[in-house]
Amino acid sequence: MWLSSIFFKTLRDYWIPILGWGIGMGLVVVSPMASVSTLLTTPQAREQLVSLAATFAWNADVVAVDTLGGYATFKIGIFIFLIAVWPLLAASRMLRGEEERGSLDVLLSLPRPRLRVALEKLAALWTALLAMGLLIGLVVFAGGQKFGADFGFSDAVLFGVNLALVCAVIGGLALLTSQFTQERSTAAGWTAGLLLVFIVLDMVHRVIPNSEWISRLSPVYYYNLSKPLVPSYGVNAGAILLLIALSLILGVTSLWLFARRDIGGTVRVPRWLRPGERKPSRALPVTDWSLRSVYARGLGVVAMPTLWWTLGIAGFAGWIVFAVQQMETRLSSLFSSSPTVMNLIRNIGGGDASVNAGFLSAIFVLLPLFLMAFAVTQVNGWSTDEQDGRLDLVLAAPQPRLTVLLGRFAALATATIVIGVLTLVASALAAAASGLTLDTGNLAAATLGMIPLGLLIASIGYLASGWLRSAADTGLLSFLLLIWFFISFIGPELKWPNATLRLSPFYYYGTPLIHGLPLASVLGVVAVAVLALGLGALRFVRKDIGV
Amino acid sequence: MTAIIETDGLTKSYGGKRGIVTVTFQVEEGDVFGFLGPNGAGKTTTIRLLMGLLRADTGAARIAGLDCWKQSVDIKHLIGYVPGEPALDPNLTGGQILEYFAHLRGGVDDTYLKHLIERFELDTSRKFRQYSTGNKRKVVLIQAFMHRPRVLILDEPTSGLDPLNQQEFDRLVEEAREQGRTVFLSSHVLSEVEKTCTTVGIVRDGRLVRIGSVAEVKAIKRYQITMTFATAIPAEAFKGLDGVLEVEAFDQGHGVRLAMQGAADAVIKAAAHYPVVSLTSVEPSLEDIFLRYYEPDNAPDKEARGVA
Repeated sequence: MWLSSIFFKTLRDYWIPILGWGIGMGLVVVSPMASVSTLLTTPQAREQLVSLAATFAWNADVVAVDTLGGYATFKIGIFIFLIAVWPLLAASRMLRGEEERGSLDVLLSLPRPRLRVALEKLAALWTALLAMGLLIGLVVFAGGQKFGADFGFSDAVLFGVNLALVCAVIGGLALLTSQFTQERSTAAGWTAGLLLVFIVLDMVHRVIPNSEWISRLSPVYYYNLSKPLVPSYGVNAGAILLLIALSLILGVTSLWLFARRDIGGTVRVPRWLRPGERKPSRALPVTDWSLRSVYARGLGVVAMPTLWWTLGIAGFAGWIVFAVQQMETRLSSLFSSSPTVMNLIRNIGGGDASVNAGFLSAIFVLLPLFLMAFAVTQVNGWSTDEQDGRLDLVLAAPQPRLTVLLGRFAALATATIVIGVLTLVASALAAAASGLTLDTGNLAAATLGMIPLGLLIASIGYLASGWLRSAADTGLLSFLLLIWFFISFIGPELKWPNATLRLSPFYYYGTPLIHGLPLASVLGVVAVAVLALGLGALRFVRKDIGV
Repeated sequence: MTAIIETDGLTKSYGGKRGIVTVTFQVEEGDVFGFLGPNGAGKTTTIRLLMGLLRADTGAARIAGLDCWKQSVDIKHLIGYVPGEPALDPNLTGGQILEYFAHLRGGVDDTYLKHLIERFELDTSRKFRQYSTGNKRKVVLIQAFMHRPRVLILDEPTSGLDPLNQQEFDRLVEEAREQGRTVFLSSHVLSEVEKTCTTVGIVRDGRLVRIGSVAEVKAIKRYQITMTFATAIPAEAFKGLDGVLEVEAFDQGHGVRLAMQGAADAVIKAAAHYPVVSLTSVEPSLEDIFLRYYEPDNAPDKEARGVA
């Protein structure tokens, strides 16, 4: 059955994302319920929570945040960007990606109209989004039941459907954009940019009085008009209908344009919008610094991702340092009413949660996690290069395999160090700007101390890539990250033995913001990283390339 | 002449799957060697073993007397390589790719590099992912030739090239041969090998089944002689003669068609007893010979016996 039509075949391709995204995003929604359920024990705590939420009112509507459903709806306000990633990528790949690969040519050689092929694919995408929405609804309902929420099954399902609808609009936008771009990634990039603009537009009316008309230009605004997890607020039928209409308009327009343009080409835009005619060039040399060696090329490849991850990691560190003083009083009384959260912060942060440094220390533990996630994405690039044959010609040049591997690893290590240093700079500047007093040495330890952890996961990835294909390598590293995170963040609360806690590299990172750099531990992590890299190099110089 | 490429009992398997089995051959310096075989025969495996990208299970491969695995970096100073499926950084332009590989090779003659770019009429300003299949192939060909390597190892180098660029490639190979450089190219395009190569090896199911000069391979051939006579003659007169495989009479005995292998001396002498009107001999192309090596019953075994 799954290969009986383009619709079913496309749906078959989506089943892993349906399960992964549906359950994963469902858990993202449930997690704030889990954290807040222990906080809502006293009226004072509820009051503090509402007050704290009001601080972030620019982010999402503060509606019944002292209920599980209201708090979850509030918390995932900013996560709409995360949730829209899959439909954005899938829709930009749906036609344009297949055109790039040439697979659409084969499909369109079948005796069926082009419009029907595209329609079946779009229908499969919508079906997948609906299935994801239903799964999210099911997970949210289960979570709500577990933590004692007051919303029902139909509310949870409506919540999922509302999410699916805004995702369908974003997907439709990506599909439409891809009719005007030559490459899938360009369409995805433009749509992501538009999504950011929509999120900001939606925020405008919460910050600037009488500016609701601006926010109405954003589909995210109409998504936020329905809050099914807050039974007293309910669903805005008009907004739901508008999202459906927008999805249809974007989808139908995209297909209409697709049916009229060249395959592999783009919709013709007015002359003044077209890029200038490019004359063929045979000029050399191009004198690009990143072409001088394997290391320099590695730096060139990693430069752009490093920029974005630096903005994320250093920006997050700077923001939390800047904001922590403003939240001090509220956090203090909030945490004092919840011994569980207090213990959690103390276990992770290594200090008193009611003190800025203690809270910051707990939050800073997230930084190495982010840096390690960055390293995982870059290791994926290395193993994919080998798998796709991109190392063959490099190794056909008189470059020792060891040089190639170490050159690429050194580029990743450089990027890791840059992120660490810029995080330190951002945190120090934020502390100075907000008047927060932090021990400079400890701040340096907390930010630079995450570098060995990034190098550790990278070297383990390089080692594993000696045997594993790219997807398996990345899967293994992601699994390790999750396990380590779980051991370090949940283990102490569950009173796990010290021997188990020592299995996680986060243990060796310690709580440097409070206690300084645990030099012996850091050296231990570096030693393990060097060992893993050494074994990885040994394997790489002896292995069959691309097998 | 000395052998610049040598393999001795080269064997490679992928887990339980066959790669190549005891492949032994030599390529003389200055030779243009065509490595023929259908898809999956083991051509690319052999080439990747020569390039030191794979490690042999048993046997050895040497280029210029250097071990292809242990001294692979030294060997690569001598080699220009075109992989079967060119995969390069899709975000680099053709110019950037060529400059990158020039740096990795420690620098190349810029004038010659520009000359190659002109010859292939390559637009170096486009990103690799935007190139057509043929243009991707041009980039890879230029990077293989740009440092004037002593040995060129080319895996199906003309795949995707248009006829004009194929001619340009043929000229480059010819120039390389004239300069005494060695070319080892794999192909399943017989006419290309017949046109370009001096020596040919045929690989089937991972085994080298035939090797020799193009002329030698073509000499061990089946061909057809057709004769017509002024009077009806007994076809039996040609049966059992040296070189005759099959005899077929036509035109009520006025003509015979002979399937031949080897010398035709006995046939000519036998025909001289009758009034011959015409005699034609049809030469097989390398294509015909090649295709016969892939007949299901492995027919060419008989021929293979007397060949290097």
